[in-house]
Parts: sequence; C-alpha cells; structure tokens
Amino acid sequence: MNQQAAEQATAIKLNEDYCASCSLCASLCPFEAIKRDPETRKMVLEIEKCQVCGICYSACPAKAIDIFYYDLISLTRYLENARREYDSDTLVVVCKGSSPDFDTAGNLFGVSKFIPLSVPCVGRLSEDIFLKAITSLGIKKIYVLACDENYCRFEKGSALNGRRVTALNLLLERLGFGEDVIVLKRNSAKVKADRDKCIRCGNCVFYCPYEAVKLDGTEPASFDLELCQGCGICVAMCPAMALELEGWEREYISALILELCSQMQQPKVLVFRCQWSTFPLLDDDLEPNVRFIDLPCAGRVDTFHVLQAFAQGVDGVMVVACPAEDCKLKEGSKEAYWGILQLKGKLDQIGLGERLHFCSIAPRYPQSFTQELRQFKEKLEITAEGG
Amino acid sequence: MIVTELKPLDEILSLISPYSTVLIAGCDGCTQPPRSIKEAENLSRLLELGGRHRDKEFSFKVTTIPKQCDSHLVATTLREQLQGIEAVLSLGCGAGVQTIVRAFPDLIVLPAQNTLFIGMEDREGALLEEKCAACGDCLLGLTGGICPLTSCAKGLLNGPCGGCSNGKCEVDAEKDCAWYLIIKRLEKQGKLDTLEEIHPPRNFQVVMRPGRIIERPLEEVKQ
Repeated sequence: MNQQAAEQATAIKLNEDYCASCSLCASLCPFEAIKRDPETRKMVLEIEKCQVCGICYSACPAKAIDIFYYDLISLTRYLENARREYDSDTLVVVCKGSSPDFDTAGNLFGVSKFIPLSVPCVGRLSEDIFLKAITSLGIKKIYVLACDENYCRFEKGSALNGRRVTALNLLLERLGFGEDVIVLKRNSAKVKADRDKCIRCGNCVFYCPYEAVKLDGTEPASFDLELCQGCGICVAMCPAMALELEGWEREYISALILELCSQMQQPKVLVFRCQWSTFPLLDDDLEPNVRFIDLPCAGRVDTFHVLQAFAQGVDGVMVVACPAEDCKLKEGSKEAYWGILQLKGKLDQIGLGERLHFCSIAPRYPQSFTQELRQFKEKLEITAEGG
Repeated sequence: MIVTELKPLDEILSLISPYSTVLIAGCDGCTQPPRSIKEAENLSRLLELGGRHRDKEFSFKVTTIPKQCDSHLVATTLREQLQGIEAVLSLGCGAGVQTIVRAFPDLIVLPAQNTLFIGMEDREGALLEEKCAACGDCLLGLTGGICPLTSCAKGLLNGPCGGCSNGKCEVDAEKDCAWYLIIKRLEKQGKLDTLEEIHPPRNFQVVMRPGRIIERPLEEVKQ
C-alpha cells in the first residue's frame, strides 16, 4: 500500500528550490508533518502525517509549498467567475465544519445575496486571497464563518484565520477600504437532544468519544455542549431518534437525498462522505450519475439514510471515511465502519450487499477517491448485468 | 435484559408475505440496543427492498412501544394505529409478541426477532452473555454472585468437575470455569465454608411451565 501510495501524486508538495528554510510552516503545522532535517537544515514534509489543512501553504512566505486544493489560482478563478454568476460584491466564506449550507451563514450575517465559498478550514486562506478579492476583484465586503477555536478540526486553523482577519482589517482601513471590511463570526454545530424522545438506553453515553453525555438515574440523557465536538456518532447510534446534529438534521439529509436522487441519471451512485476525507474541487464538474452528501464526520453516516437512498432507487451507496488514525473526531471512522459492515450483512440477505461500499480515504492522495469511485461504479455495472 | 437477534430477512419476508399492510412495532424496553423506532424504520426499508426483489410490494407503518411486555402500554399505544393494518411485525421478545396477541386477539402478530436468553451486556467487548437461566431457585447468594447454572457448561451445583484446568473449562478453553471463579470469590469473602453445604439436585418443580405468579387473588382484585 505504502509503495503504491508513494507513487501517487500528493496533495501537498514542498519545492526545495524556493524554500528558504525559515521553518514557519513547521511552527504552524498542527500535525508535525513538516520538520527541519537536523543534518541538511532543509525542511522535510512527511506526507503520511499531513492532514492537508493547508495552513503551511497559506503561511509560506516563499511560496515554496504547492497545494492541490483551493490554491490561490483556483480560488481567484472561482471568485472571478462567481462575481459574474452571483452578481454580488459580497463574499461569504464558511468553514465546512461550522456550517453545511449557506442559509445558516446568510442568516447569521443578515445577508441574502452573496458569493458563497465553502472551504475545509478557513485557516487555509492566505492574506493574498482576501487582499486580491478586495483590491482587484471588486468585492466590497467579506463575511467569514469559522469554527469556534476549540472546535477546529485542524486545531490551529480557526485561530490563525482570526489573527489574519484582525491584521487585514487594519491594513485595509489604512489603505482606504473602510472599517471592518472582513467580518468574522464563529459557530460550531453541536448535538440537540429531544428529552421527550429519550428512552434512557445509554447508547449515547457509551459511544460519545468526548464524555459529553451523562445518564443519571431516571433523567433523560443530558449533554454538556462545551465538551460536544459535533461528530454525530450519538445521533447515528440513538435507537429512539431522539438526537439531532445542528445543521445536519435528519430531515435535512432526507430531503437532500430526495433532491439528489431526482437529479441523477442511472445507474445512480450516492456518496456519503466525511468532509475531511476528500475535498471537492471548486470547479468540479459532477458526473451525471454521482452525487455527494458531505457529513461532518463519517460517524454521522446513518444507516437510516443509507437505506432511504436505496429505497429511493439509488443503485449504489458509497460511504467514505477517513482512515481511523486520521479521524478528526476520534472514533467516527471506526463507528461508521462497524455500522456499515452490519448493514451490509443485512443487505447481503436480500441480494443488495454488493451495492454498499465502505472505504477509507485521506485527502493527501487526491486520486485515491476518484479511483475508488471508478472501481465501485465498474463493480455496480457488472452486478447490474449479472442481475 | 432479554437478548434477541433479528431473524434472517428471508424468513421475515416469508412470514409477512401473505399481507400487504404491516405495522412494525419496536420495543424501547430491555434489550440492548433497544429495537426502538429507528430499528423499526430501518427494518421497514430493508423489507421493502427485499420485497421488491421478490416482486412483492409492502406498505409499512412503524411505531414503538415503551415496553412490549406491558399489556396496558401495548393496548394504549397500538389501539390508534391499527386502522387498515393486516399484520403486526414485532421487534419485541417472545413475551412482547404474545402481549400484543393478548391485547388484540383478532390481530395477526408475527415475530421479527429470535429470543435467545436473559443476559448482560459488556459494551466494551461488544458482547452479550447469558447470565440467568430463570431457574426459579436462585443460588447467587451462596455462590458469590456467580451463577453456576448459566456459567458452568454442565450446570453443576456442588463445585467444579475434573475438567477445570488453570481456571478454564474443558468444554471451551477460552471460557472461565464458573466454579473456579466462585471458589476464588468466596475465598476472598472468607466464606469458603458455604461450600460445605451439599446442594441436592435442582428442584425442577419450582418453575412449572408456563411460569405464573398471581400477585393478588382474583377475588380480592374484584372487590
């Protein structure tokens, strides 16, 4: 696997020719994936540790780091096109972790017409793109919805963005662009419990990786939202459907499944993916028969929704989690794996097991997701011919 | 708790095949995890998909009952929901199924689960183990709280057989010898002398089948 992986292109590359060995990247990397080699004094990237947060890319003063996702060129191209498409000079940037859709963000900032930009962690956005947007792309106001600092999946991303926004606002004011051109808010999506529906089984208490739930005596389960990290494992595990995850409510996902099903051509493939396992590109063209539902963690993948998709006539369901050791939410990948394995066993009994596929993917090798999807589609076609 | 497991879907499909409109009734009660509303929803979809495979269209409704073995809760929860229902598929244990039958004598009630045993769940080990044989003559007070009837492969009442080796059972080397555990525990409690007492063979008359307890004589209830 490792040898095969090494031959693949990686999402982050360190260009030695440009690197000045300033080691800013190493000081910012939350995962200790970049280090200075004590002998050669050069910076070395250990790709297997990299979580592709993009913080190093956004901070490198020598532009010695290349990134596959959301680099300055693709962001600029997106904003240029979006400026025309949305006919707006307001930009709303959200971290995928703080909000799954733009309605919440729009409401929070009180804006309805804007250019939407969703990124996996706002820490990956350098000063350059903000300045470019304001000074040369005709954008007048930028709203940023980041995650709460102690909720950031990349540990330092949200805090770094906060410091940048403060500095940029000072700079832009001096340059005559007005006060508070960039408005930053923070949000984090957490569990919501319906005490009336709780049957006191204790599943949430057992599965919560953060010890955020208590079940004392005969009282319904009570959640400490300070501790909740919004992985959604408890929601997927609750037998009474008494729990919801803000922003990813069961009804919302169900409605999304219906809508996506109506858009798809056959054979329909619906992909439930952890939004940290693989990042969509800004200019990704969707294949006519494949649609995606990005979830805050594979732990929120719900057998309820997988079955709903099959009942709606989807031919194949793919569940994409991060490798267990990369899970940003401790146990999410592992729980998703067991949940899907059990469901697959049941689907096997009615001849549909082959149509459900679980895989672990990390964004550090951008091709691995496309390969996995292609293989699954090929397998589905064979199954379809056989059946 | 009562430990149950879902029947093979083929078997459930055969059971419900004569009917088209089926109510799936979950139970929030003792089994772990509870076969509650979500299990009912998921089963309805699985059976819908399985039915399509067999060219049979079902129409499912789902509900759940706080405790399926409680005749009052069953009657009050289901009463309003039976309009147009041809059969009820129960996610409860065998007692749950029969409580529904008792409450609605004219209704077809079918089991979706196989009821296995009375057990304890060890979540860390993702394990459900039989812990009580419902023997009607509880010995736990004399055996350090460890049941030899369920934990000993031979159900012995007076100490280990010759097959105990290094604390493991000759029937399955993975399994602890129940009597080894009992003796260790009694030793710790300083109660080894309770073993001096010889237990006569079990009195199978204690529990007549079907088991029955009359909490109050009927005449008293009527007064």
